[in-house]
Amino acid sequence: MNSPRRWPCALIALSVLAWIVAVPVTADAQSPKRGGTLRVSYGNEIAHLDFHTAPGYEMMWVAMNVGCGLVNITPDGKFVGDAAESWHMSPDGLLYTFKLRTNVLFHDGTRVDAAAVKFSIDRLKDPATKSGMRAFYDAVHSVEVLDASTVQIRLKQPYAFMLHMLAAYRTGLVLYSPAATQKFSLDDRKQGKPGAVVGCGPFRLIEWVKGSHLLMERFDKYFVPGLPYLDRVMIRTIKDPVTEMAAFKAGEIDFIASFSPEHVDTLKAHNPKAQILTGKETTPMLAAMKVTVPKDGKPMSKERAPHPIFGDLRVRKAVGCYGIDRQEIVKIAFRGKATPWVGMNPPGTLDTVDVNHLCPYDPAKAKAMLAEAGYGPQKRLTFELMADTEKSVFNVIATVIKEQMARLGVTANIRLVDKVSWMNTTLQDGPWDMYVEDLLSLITLDSNGYLSNSTSTWSHPRHNDKRVDEHYARYAREMDPAKRRAIAREIQEFFVENMYWNNISGSPFYMVAQPWMKGYTYNAEFEVHYHRVWLDK
Amino acid sequence: MRVYVLRRVLQIVPTVLMITLVVFVMMRSIPGDPVVALLGDAYTEEDAVKVRAAYGLDRPVLVQYVIWLGKLVQGDWGASILSGRPVLQDVLIRLPVTLELIVLSMGVALVIAIPAAIIGALRQNTWADYTATTVAMIGVSIPEFFIGVLLLLIFSIGLGGLLPSSGWVYLPGTCPTMVCGVSLWGNVQHVLLPAVALGVGRAAILTRLLRASMLEVIRTEYVTTARAKGLGERPVVFKHALKNALIPTITVMGLQVGFLIGGAIVVETLFAMPGLGTFGIDAIIARDYQQVQGFALLTAVAFVVINLVVDLLYTFLDPRIRYA
Repeated sequence: MNSPRRWPCALIALSVLAWIVAVPVTADAQSPKRGGTLRVSYGNEIAHLDFHTAPGYEMMWVAMNVGCGLVNITPDGKFVGDAAESWHMSPDGLLYTFKLRTNVLFHDGTRVDAAAVKFSIDRLKDPATKSGMRAFYDAVHSVEVLDASTVQIRLKQPYAFMLHMLAAYRTGLVLYSPAATQKFSLDDRKQGKPGAVVGCGPFRLIEWVKGSHLLMERFDKYFVPGLPYLDRVMIRTIKDPVTEMAAFKAGEIDFIASFSPEHVDTLKAHNPKAQILTGKETTPMLAAMKVTVPKDGKPMSKERAPHPIFGDLRVRKAVGCYGIDRQEIVKIAFRGKATPWVGMNPPGTLDTVDVNHLCPYDPAKAKAMLAEAGYGPQKRLTFELMADTEKSVFNVIATVIKEQMARLGVTANIRLVDKVSWMNTTLQDGPWDMYVEDLLSLITLDSNGYLSNSTSTWSHPRHNDKRVDEHYARYAREMDPAKRRAIAREIQEFFVENMYWNNISGSPFYMVAQPWMKGYTYNAEFEVHYHRVWLDK
Repeated sequence: MRVYVLRRVLQIVPTVLMITLVVFVMMRSIPGDPVVALLGDAYTEEDAVKVRAAYGLDRPVLVQYVIWLGKLVQGDWGASILSGRPVLQDVLIRLPVTLELIVLSMGVALVIAIPAAIIGALRQNTWADYTATTVAMIGVSIPEFFIGVLLLLIFSIGLGGLLPSSGWVYLPGTCPTMVCGVSLWGNVQHVLLPAVALGVGRAAILTRLLRASMLEVIRTEYVTTARAKGLGERPVVFKHALKNALIPTITVMGLQVGFLIGGAIVVETLFAMPGLGTFGIDAIIARDYQQVQGFALLTAVAFVVINLVVDLLYTFLDPRIRYA
């Protein structure tokens, strides 16, 4: 019979034993498990599946998993090889040589070689492809195949953001199998017909049923041994955030790829163990003002006249710079979860500069400038403020701006339109004065060139100031990071001084994962990869 | 009778043509076209002009309509401008989901409406009647999306995920794609909340209508005669009164199909169901003309055919009605 005095010793011994047993168990729980289906929810429908031409983040996040490229970028801005094993840039910055891994296969079994890289870049550069990526390849002169595993990209001029562009401008470079691309038509690829969408990523496309689901399955010959861990990824579209929350709460979905900021607190309250993934803001929220209108009345005409209201810099500055209280907007529209930011480069983007001091909220100064421009009680300034219905926050911001304008004696009439109407109005030089939108996530200031230089279709304010283009060109060609930062500051200050880009704040981005979803690395909208994800359940 | 049916069937053709023409013209009259969305980041005015020409969108609207109609006659419903997917294929994939939702929501409506209306009529001005009419009034007043959200909060969140909040599981043997959830029980679980959300409003309307109709019928002489003959209350109510009271209700049921299709758009969006409703609304938002036409065609045909069936049902409910 054991003496009670021995019990403490026995307990200690048992505890030690339990600890010894438990440690490996804990370690096992943290080591990735293979198998399972990751159930992902998207808030918007995938447009189509030709990765080189389809618009929208939803398509991009599929492309990043079905496809592979040359390089990827980590959250701290380091480049890691994807199909490329190594790379180097010539001293003059005009030649990039990529050495490819030899074990990378497309899903149709063909090898990812230098010819495939050349084929893909040439396709993107071809105007007939109508790729949104084409503008980013402006600096590329040609692509040369040195041997099956070595490819050279020759540039027309040095381009400091070549690797950023290949990694993360929109989808980044997504390599296409020449064999599959030639075998299937564009329509086959857009529809996601079996065999037509061929990438070299960790998952191969099994089925896409528009409005229902998209299913990807592990590609067993993926070039990284042991990856991916998941058997399948099933993507569903759930447009209503309340339904999305309910599905998440009920455990019907594991991952919400983009969650509306205004519902984050509610979701957190209902799911204390949920992983809320977010980071530095990389998307600008802007209240764009139209600078010019067609002189001859023809949309997109090169002959421009100043916009009747915002063509006057004094009015732009009065309204956009001193007349908008960004703190108040952020407090109301984002419940304080964004950064008031005047600069065009959001706080999370490379080479960002805080230029908030250039536009302090100063209604008195705004009124004085408006008076100088001829507006006041006798001649009340009235303009139209367009907001689209894609995100409810746009309308909230527009409402706050309307209220702030009223304090200046200015009338802002809100026009709420759907996304397609907004796109039609802005892209086709239609009649608008100001709009609220967050256009796209910026990994570099350079990537915003196509939204804000003087020749871009997507530069909706239609300023025709060539100095903007010169600034961008200098910035992109400067290979010295310190000098580049100085130019970045110049650009951001220039935009504020001229109010070509009326920024309100950063636009926060949230992803939500169940506690059992492991291995995901948050990298905003730029890199959404599931190959290291595993399910701990 | 045959002549009547033939005449009604022939009337369907101009009705459907008129509906599709109106939708065709209206879609092209609202601001925005699908080319902008199609080109997306690559949009340039020059490319847009070329793409519009390639899809024939630069031609007069009536010419476009005739071309669409010509292809339709040959069985070609066209393809989505945005995704390139054949419209007919997508419509057929989504049709069973919406069909099941509509049939079941009408079932829910009848299951609630018939007993409530009978009780309300037979016990007029009692608490049972007041309860039935009050609930009906509330049901009519609350929109589908609100009932849907309430059901979601109660059954998917509040009761620990008792019923699924979204998605779809197909009935065995009906999976139209390579990969589906298939199970009878799963299907019941997934359709229950949407069917109730959609059916409650219809139940309220039918309750009020049927109650009024029953009140009228139970005061007629033939019902009094049936009672005087010594017939029990049950046969009087169900065989004599209800059958006749149902005639106006069935007319309204036919008309309610239109509202159900409209309501399905809201309910399917809320419950993220892969049905025709979400197909239609996505198409309208994206200005995907071909898909909108497919949606309009199908719903128009469904509406007129169901109303024809309803009209023909009269003869069975009331032998006095004969179509010459």
